[in-house]
Amino acid sequence: MAHIPTLGSRWRQRSLAVAAMAPLVALALTATNGTGAVAAASSTPFKVCMGTGGQGINWETGQGVVLQSLAQKEGWSSVVLSNNNSASTALSNVEVFIQDHCNAVVEFNPAPSANAVMAAKLAAAKIPAITYDIGQPGWYFVGIDNLKAGIAGGQMLGKIIKSKWNCDPDLIIASNAAGAGVVNTERTGGMITGVLDECPGIAKAKIVNFEGGGQTSVSLPAARAVLAAHPSASKIAVVGINDSGVVGGLEAAEQLGRASNLIGWGQDGSLVTGPNVDPHLAGSVFYFLEGYPEATLPLLKEIAAGHAPAVRDNTHNNPAVSLQPCPVTAAQAHKVPDYSARLKAMQKAAPGTTEYALFCPNK
Amino acid sequence: MPELAQGRLAPDEPTAARPGPPSLKLAPPRASWSRSEDVGTAAMIAATWGLLVVVSALHRGDFLSRQTLLSVTFTMAIVGVLAVGQALVAMSGGILDLSVQTALILPAWVAVSLLARGVNILLVILAALAAGGAWGLLNALIIVFGKLNPVIVTLGTNFAGAAVLNILFQSAQTPISSGLAKWGSGTFLALPNIFWPMVAIVALAGYFVPRSRAGRHMVAVGGNPQAARTRGISLRKTRFSVFVASGILSGCAALLFAASNLNFVPNDGSTFLLPTLASVIVAGIALSGGVGNLWMILLSVGLLSTVPTSFAFFGFSDTWQMVPPGVILVIAVSIDGYRRARSRR
Repeated sequence: MAHIPTLGSRWRQRSLAVAAMAPLVALALTATNGTGAVAAASSTPFKVCMGTGGQGINWETGQGVVLQSLAQKEGWSSVVLSNNNSASTALSNVEVFIQDHCNAVVEFNPAPSANAVMAAKLAAAKIPAITYDIGQPGWYFVGIDNLKAGIAGGQMLGKIIKSKWNCDPDLIIASNAAGAGVVNTERTGGMITGVLDECPGIAKAKIVNFEGGGQTSVSLPAARAVLAAHPSASKIAVVGINDSGVVGGLEAAEQLGRASNLIGWGQDGSLVTGPNVDPHLAGSVFYFLEGYPEATLPLLKEIAAGHAPAVRDNTHNNPAVSLQPCPVTAAQAHKVPDYSARLKAMQKAAPGTTEYALFCPNK
Repeated sequence: MPELAQGRLAPDEPTAARPGPPSLKLAPPRASWSRSEDVGTAAMIAATWGLLVVVSALHRGDFLSRQTLLSVTFTMAIVGVLAVGQALVAMSGGILDLSVQTALILPAWVAVSLLARGVNILLVILAALAAGGAWGLLNALIIVFGKLNPVIVTLGTNFAGAAVLNILFQSAQTPISSGLAKWGSGTFLALPNIFWPMVAIVALAGYFVPRSRAGRHMVAVGGNPQAARTRGISLRKTRFSVFVASGILSGCAALLFAASNLNFVPNDGSTFLLPTLASVIVAGIALSGGVGNLWMILLSVGLLSTVPTSFAFFGFSDTWQMVPPGVILVIAVSIDGYRRARSRR
């Protein structure tokens, strides 16, 4: 016999569905508060606004946290929105910043295809913009010298290859992230250049690039395929755009039983501290990315004082602020506090204190 | 004798409200393609896979090595388990579950968080399965009681879930010294440990779905919901159970993921959506519901997991390595469309 629902039972069903959605909506709203707009004292005239990366990496959120902490110390108000790793979101965030009468905008936009449009809108609104690591004509460039960082890491790895294998590795695999554009070219390519600086005789055929997306979950299966295609290689070195990509390569070799002669050197320092460092990760290069806003402070102060300096957008290798890369061995990295501790320290640090000054063991 | 056209009813839509002669004979739900269809699908996938292997081996003799076997089987494990859950959803008429990212990463995060606190591995496994089941339950509640399109709902819950995951953690690591991590990089019978649970899950699901009462109900609901309801099958309970089961399977996949991928971030699960969908469609499981043989997933996942390794042997550049999954998905969807058109004739 067919069941004919009554109004009451239908209401109950709808209520169940709404009740099921409620926790998600509540949590999503919490999420919005966590990365979303946060306004400080409304009486202060200077307002600094930031679009953070939104790729789900801790230091991207950290940049927003440090910027807000810095703004609070300076008595500025701040707005931080996540770009959600999306060009369209970054663009709509800029529109919000303009409507909100921000006095300066800071961007870390890993999906930079909309940057030109964003720049035009900000220029029309006469709002100066600062960009981290990803250059845009007309915006102050603040960032690490990616090529220098890549070469520094590569040279450290090259020294190990020289001492351990007499500059004769069987295979060097490079975990790229093509979507990062010139950052990938400079950082991953710089690693190779650095290795070749130390061991110029390594044949090009021994160097194999693959797409790792800057994520362990992408790099790992891709590296497995590359290693399978070089079954006779036993002395294996791994480089890449970041620690996640390199660790993906190292884990691939471990899974294929090829870890007896394996070394890797990362970039960004995200996986070389803490209790779970891959034993084959020989070192990494710290950028202290979460601390970028602190290095931006002098520039922001000039803008706030109404004396904005001439724009140096790095189109002619002229960054507004150039940050120092900090290559460290895995042993040295133990002395560097982990991300959470660094973030707390930066929130408490006196204005103008950089993470490099606080934490780099190889100054 | 006239038959009711195959159509869809909302889960709680009253059959009595539908006009029709009481003597109307209903078409029985199709539990699967016919045996010849199954053989044809299996032959097609196996032939394609075989061709890929032969061409790769002709190009490079060392393609036929244990390294290749390990590379392919490691890749198969997680996708295979996710594909079984996705296939159950498709076969029950739920079309697709697009919340793969959250369904995978939430239980994985639960598992590694508990491992880091030294919790017993059995409790960790149960917690991961429960977290996956809870995610499936959430989707089921919204879809079944809200009578909403599963594709839209799971797309929406995935966005919300991803946001929540980003609040919960920025990156997670499976403790290197944990039993799960050691097990995840180990092998059994020359193949990865994580490969065998996938084989067992596919084999069990492939055996029990056509033979168990619950499995037949699921296929009936997906194939012809109107007929299934007339036979006294509860559409709501069936679809509800399927989404919960799919969630539990995601919990299984999450354990394999956490065991073999020792560092992950909230967004990592998104990379599994495309190969999972492609595996289901290539396996001949109709997105329109009611049709499919779960054993085919072993072949389709095997084929799709061999492609990247084969490409690496051909030395294609890293940029080209991103192309095959997209192309294969388009081809698979085309084949699915062709099959549906042919089945209507």
